[in-house]
Amino acid sequence: MSRIGVFVCHCGLNIAKTVRVSELAEFAATLPDVVVAKDYKFMCSTPGQEMIAHDIKAHRLDRVIVTACSPLMHEQTFRKVLAASGLNQYLLTIVNIREQVSWVTHDIDEGTAKAKALLNGAVRRARLLAPLTSRVIDVNSDVLVVGGGIAGIQAALELANTGKKVYLVEKNSTIGGHMAQFDKTFPTLDCSACILTPKMDSVLQHKNITLLTSCEVSEVKGFVGNFDITIRQKARYVDHTRCNACLACTEKCPGKAVSEWDEGLVKRKAIYIPFPQAVPQKPVIDRDACTFFKKGKCRLCEKVCEQKAIDFEQQDTFTTVKVGAVIVATGYDLMDTRALIQYGYGKYPGVYNALEVERLFNSAGPTGGKVTLRDGKEPQAIAILHCIGSRDKNNYEHCSRVCCMYSLKFAHLFKEKTSADVYQFYIDMRAAGKGYEEFYNRIIEEDVKFIRGKGARVAQSADEPDRLVVEAEDTITGKFIRLPVDMVVLSPAIIPRGDAKDIARLFNLSTDRYGFFMERHPKLAPLSTMSEGVFIAGVCQSPKDIPDTVAQANGAAAEALTIVVKDKMELEATTAMVNPASCCACQNCVRVCPYGAPFFNEAKGVSEINEALCKGCGLCASVCPPSAIIARHFTNDQVLAEMEGLLEF
Amino acid sequence: MAISFEQIEQNLKTEARKLLESGKVSLVLAYGRGYDENHPMPYVAKHPSDVDNIVFNEYCTANLARYLTRYPRRTKIAIAAKAADSRAVVQLIQEDKVCREDLVVLGIPVYGMKNFKTGEAIDSKTTGGLSNPVLYDILLGEEVHGQPVSSPYDVLAAYEAMDKEERWAFWQRELGRCIRCYACRKACPMCYCDPCFIDQNKPKWGEKSPESPGNLMYHLTRFHHLAGRCIDCGECSRACPVDIPLYLFHKKVAKDCEEMFGQAAGMSIGDKPVLVNFRVDDSDKILE
Ligand SMILES: Cc1cc2nc3c(=O)[nH]c(=O)nc-3n(C[C@H](O)[C@H](O)[C@H](O)COP(=O)(O)OP(=O)(O)OC[C@H]3O[C@@H](n4cnc5c(N)ncnc54)[C@H](O)[C@@H]3O)c2cc1C
Ligand code: SF4
Ligand code: SF4
Ligand code: SF4
Repeated sequence: MSRIGVFVCHCGLNIAKTVRVSELAEFAATLPDVVVAKDYKFMCSTPGQEMIAHDIKAHRLDRVIVTACSPLMHEQTFRKVLAASGLNQYLLTIVNIREQVSWVTHDIDEGTAKAKALLNGAVRRARLLAPLTSRVIDVNSDVLVVGGGIAGIQAALELANTGKKVYLVEKNSTIGGHMAQFDKTFPTLDCSACILTPKMDSVLQHKNITLLTSCEVSEVKGFVGNFDITIRQKARYVDHTRCNACLACTEKCPGKAVSEWDEGLVKRKAIYIPFPQAVPQKPVIDRDACTFFKKGKCRLCEKVCEQKAIDFEQQDTFTTVKVGAVIVATGYDLMDTRALIQYGYGKYPGVYNALEVERLFNSAGPTGGKVTLRDGKEPQAIAILHCIGSRDKNNYEHCSRVCCMYSLKFAHLFKEKTSADVYQFYIDMRAAGKGYEEFYNRIIEEDVKFIRGKGARVAQSADEPDRLVVEAEDTITGKFIRLPVDMVVLSPAIIPRGDAKDIARLFNLSTDRYGFFMERHPKLAPLSTMSEGVFIAGVCQSPKDIPDTVAQANGAAAEALTIVVKDKMELEATTAMVNPASCCACQNCVRVCPYGAPFFNEAKGVSEINEALCKGCGLCASVCPPSAIIARHFTNDQVLAEMEGLLEF
Repeated sequence: MAISFEQIEQNLKTEARKLLESGKVSLVLAYGRGYDENHPMPYVAKHPSDVDNIVFNEYCTANLARYLTRYPRRTKIAIAAKAADSRAVVQLIQEDKVCREDLVVLGIPVYGMKNFKTGEAIDSKTTGGLSNPVLYDILLGEEVHGQPVSSPYDVLAAYEAMDKEERWAFWQRELGRCIRCYACRKACPMCYCDPCFIDQNKPKWGEKSPESPGNLMYHLTRFHHLAGRCIDCGECSRACPVDIPLYLFHKKVAKDCEEMFGQAAGMSIGDKPVLVNFRVDDSDKILE
């Protein structure tokens, strides 16, 4: 016999609109072991909480069921009410009648019936619940930041300045990310390098930051407060402890490869630094381009290096670091527009993508900041095509958010650096940030021509074969236009990194339909993820500008700090255990657990679960053929009782 | 080329004797005489003197991999294994139930094995269309070549022609006949759970009496537990005293599994058990 109290929340009209809440409470009162059932407008408010606390005492309740919103919202709130009233917090059950009921129907009969079914199941399960004790664990105070773009740099610096130790892992040979490729940044047009390079340098100098370039995370074990992260240091073939950055080697090197940093517009050496302000400013050898690795002969760099830093024998190495929290800031890629053959990217030399143009503007770029076409000529007419692949049902439905603004920036820079006519082909102009509308107005004044219509096709000009023609419908005049130009700039969709899926898998992140990392809650937990202790910042979460990226980075740093600032933390008691008498040693549990908690005890011939690692997801219990696994709080008996209750309806 | 069963029996005896005499293994899983020639039985030779009792003929269909998991880990065992049996050995190695280094696999290349109840050839129905073992240390005959290779899934044609309702009715009818003797799970090399879920009382997953809902619970769950693991030896169906064609269900699941994940059970030691192995590029069809 248990004594159950059921508390039905209206959530204003959120629930009450499509569930007859008082009828639900009356129904609850008829269920076995329910001794009190009430409904109330806002159960999470102070009077609501006090009502539950009062009834726990008054009716000597030993189980509490709150039928309200998702447990993600208020499970903690109501657990605290139970704990403060002297009840074990695991004797709380939340029935989600908002997200799972009232918000998914317009029909009040249907809503009420489903709410009753869920509650009927919950009462049956609640009777079988047992008190559980949370575990208290030590917290490691260091933080890992993955990705050294502006987001990762900012987060690392903020955390390091609070005195925490930070590991910053960057897969390239330098930090800086996309921002380091730009010349100017909208809307203020301040020089990108001037604001970024001091930060990059601070990262290198900071005593609390361990900078790990040419590195990737290869394995993640553990859980919030106690992650064990294995990092692969890719062979650089240059010993950075010896190298003094004289760069004599890069001058002599005969090997050549396209420069990723300059978006393939020029070549670089096989031993190289990506750009002059790279951090660290020490070279690496690109194995695929190196004459010695390809032909077995050369070693010129080794001969000129006085520091004896070149090491052709270097191998990838692996190190493991322990951290309490992780910030993922791996940024973005641009969509490969070659797939959109109507725009001729990759076919016509006059068609560029946005990042290539950033490099053309950059004084450290391939042309020294001069805007010239691939044939060296200065363009006379330039068309900038917005929304290529974005806001496009056939490709990416999302808006890439920064293209309107950087396209305006491009227009300004083209005007500044050439005498060309500049045309913008846009669907509509999105200038919703601080100072953005003003920036837009400023560019209008600069004699830039705006054509409201999406560029439909780029073709070779019939009359002048070395020119291009942009076709579009001007939706203001309703006319179809064909505009001859010398240069076309595509603003491609901003998309997740090619390896975002792998990162998601490593850190147990969810991704949205495009592959951007999902936040725990779009409004109330935009930097947290479903993986506790792992936070996200910057464009890896969704397209955004630098100010928003930096704000997120600071936020993620603060979130990480809330974890690593404590030396102990409480963990959920809802873990799994193996009943050795039933285990048939199939090791399914060992194979499916995403957290590596179960292991095979060879001496006993059965599997066991390391509770420190278990997150209570229940996967193992579901694949255990002889049901030897007991998932606490979701035992087979409890779940079956709930199902029976549900199916009674 | 006809198969010489005498030759295989001779080779089996010779190798078994060598292995037992040298102490390389402590037992040899083979076949011995049953109550007559047509009913050979699994036989465990533990001493060189036991070897004379070993037989091999076309009725030796039993899958001896069934017995591997009955011995403590690290027991050194030699096992006579036909094609499908060797797949069971491979699957058990994948599942880490037995260790490769503890086994000597005496591979038997053979076709034309017969069902001891009906005398009918079993190649086309079961044995996965294979004649040669996929794993062995010593081969007890010459590899079979030139036999018409049939797809292991050909026999599904009639079953697949049925629609959903017909299949449901078919299984309700067939599984409704089950007398719950559990010969199927006893014969199956992959059914090594002890206790079996159906024997449990808390929770009680299904009724234990031979009636429809409990029968369905037992069999559908067993089919599910064998998904991606059944190596198509057909032993369950031959063991069944009321001749329920269990192999049809297993084959259908095996086919789906192979189509979805590109992997058949027990074909390679390097494979991971398919349903408990996650690959980023796994098919999502199963969720649709
Ligand atoms: C053409 C263009 C122009 C723009 N101009 C402006 C502008 O003028 N003003 C403005 O405010 N915004 C602008 N933006 C937006 C701006 O680029 C972004 O807001 C900003 O760069 C986001 O920074 P980030 O750190 O999130 O990502 P990124 O800059 O992409 O940095 C991510 C970093 O993570 C590293 N990384 C990736 N994967 C891994 C991995 N698996 N392991 C380790 N490291 C990894 C990458 O190498 C990189 O260094 C522009 C965008 C584009 C496309
Ligand atoms: S899944 Fe179950 S039976 Fe298999 S090893 Fe794990 S606990 Fe044991
Ligand atoms: S419940 Fe099982 S699968 Fe989930 S984390 Fe715990 S041990 Fe791993
Ligand atoms: S062998 Fe046949 S009768 Fe016996 S349990 Fe299996 S299916 Fe049922």
